Amino acid sequence: MKKTINIPLGSQHISLLEPVRFRFECENEKIVAVDSDVGFVHRGIERACTTKFKFDGVGYVVARVCGLCAITHSLSYTAGIEKLLDAEITLKAKYLRVLLLELDRIHSHMLCLSHTCENAGFEAMFMRIMGDRELIMEIQELLTGNRVQFDFISIGGVNRDLSPEVAKIILERLKIVREKTLGYMDEFKNNWSLSLKFKGIGTLSLEEAYRFNAIGPLARASGLKIDVRNEIDYLPFSEIGFVMQTQSGGDINSRNIVRLNEIINSIEMCENVINGLPEGEIFTKIKGKPKGEVVVRFEAPRGELMYYIKGNGKPILERVRIKTPTFACIPAFSHIFVGQNYADAPAILASFDPCLSCTAK
Amino acid sequence: MFASFVKAFKNLFKEPQTIDYPATPIVKDEGYRGLIEYGQEECIYCLKCEKACPSGAILFVPVENPPKNEKNKKGLKYHYNPHLCIYCTECVRACPKPDEALWQSNKKPPIGIKDDKVNEEWFELERLKSKD
Repeated sequence: MKKTINIPLGSQHISLLEPVRFRFECENEKIVAVDSDVGFVHRGIERACTTKFKFDGVGYVVARVCGLCAITHSLSYTAGIEKLLDAEITLKAKYLRVLLLELDRIHSHMLCLSHTCENAGFEAMFMRIMGDRELIMEIQELLTGNRVQFDFISIGGVNRDLSPEVAKIILERLKIVREKTLGYMDEFKNNWSLSLKFKGIGTLSLEEAYRFNAIGPLARASGLKIDVRNEIDYLPFSEIGFVMQTQSGGDINSRNIVRLNEIINSIEMCENVINGLPEGEIFTKIKGKPKGEVVVRFEAPRGELMYYIKGNGKPILERVRIKTPTFACIPAFSHIFVGQNYADAPAILASFDPCLSCTAK
Repeated sequence: MFASFVKAFKNLFKEPQTIDYPATPIVKDEGYRGLIEYGQEECIYCLKCEKACPSGAILFVPVENPPKNEKNKKGLKYHYNPHLCIYCTECVRACPKPDEALWQSNKKPPIGIKDDKVNEEWFELERLKSKD
């Protein structure tokens, strides 16, 4: 007689932000096997990029892959095209790109933290973090003109300049957000529902992180020193003050602490960008059609994002391949669930910060 | 523990974070990316904006009674679809006379309802364009 029962989580579930389906095989309370399906929000974006849109408009199409890391997608694509066209953009444009990239990381991590709180049953903290996240959203709107779809990056530079008034507001707001984040750090370390309850749950060891090819905050929480910002020299991350954040626990609490530390680091980077913004043009006109192939990597809030672009000298590209961070982490996700209690599954899932609209594209 | 009680008590007398919409209007930022506006007299009909638009929200279609402009030799009329537009301002950057012929405002797009036949009219224009 079969001794296990199958319990589905998703595709629609109260603890999920986006549709994903897990089927847990449970023995009493313990999960013994996991099966997952991520393709619920497929929109055929890769195909659209190579059939309907010209290469100079594709940057705006790929920004619609995901609402949270829109800027990383358009940045990766644009950087790829600039590499193919052998174009060099100004240092000021690079600095402004970093500024928006880091602002995006801050608000994405805040969303994940608030969601973790909600799944722990701490609704008040969820409201608080979401309320404070509005400060960052408003900054982004001031800077780019829109809250979510920035459309800030175009081939050759950025679309808008940073005015001194906006810079002043951003610095003021970031100061408030830093204080608030230090407050969260206290809560996440000392509050029972957010720290002790999460310690030792959903653990991924360093060896497992290597074996399952984990990336992003998931890997950094296990002590694996992997961050694309450390490896590429396309954007001047090291001179702006990037410091890699790692923890050794590998559990939900460590992931939260890594995200909080990254928020603090990103705030510092944003302040350094604004204080040390070089003079110059924000846009250089680039001519030509992409020919050849290129691979670009960038660090999205959830891990490494990879773009493969192939052009053949025509306005419409031959191939655009997007490899998203959540997709790369699925083997690690499935492994973490095994051996955990079923009741912990929503909390573990929230700590991964999965982005399914990226994954299914 | 005590501090959090004090905080919770103080919060009872705080103003809410939300605003009292629609009694209090939403403050719109100057730089908000809104509708693209068009100055017919200044346009030189170079069609650069039409080519630059990633979503195809600008169409110049030949009509029977074209707007009077000496640069308009082919008898074209400017059409703009606010529901298709993504407000990226590629068209304004492509325009040789920005701020006079084409510029971005901070106005909100209108609500598209079925009775306005927004889609049907636009598909008709696209058909005319492809014939052209």
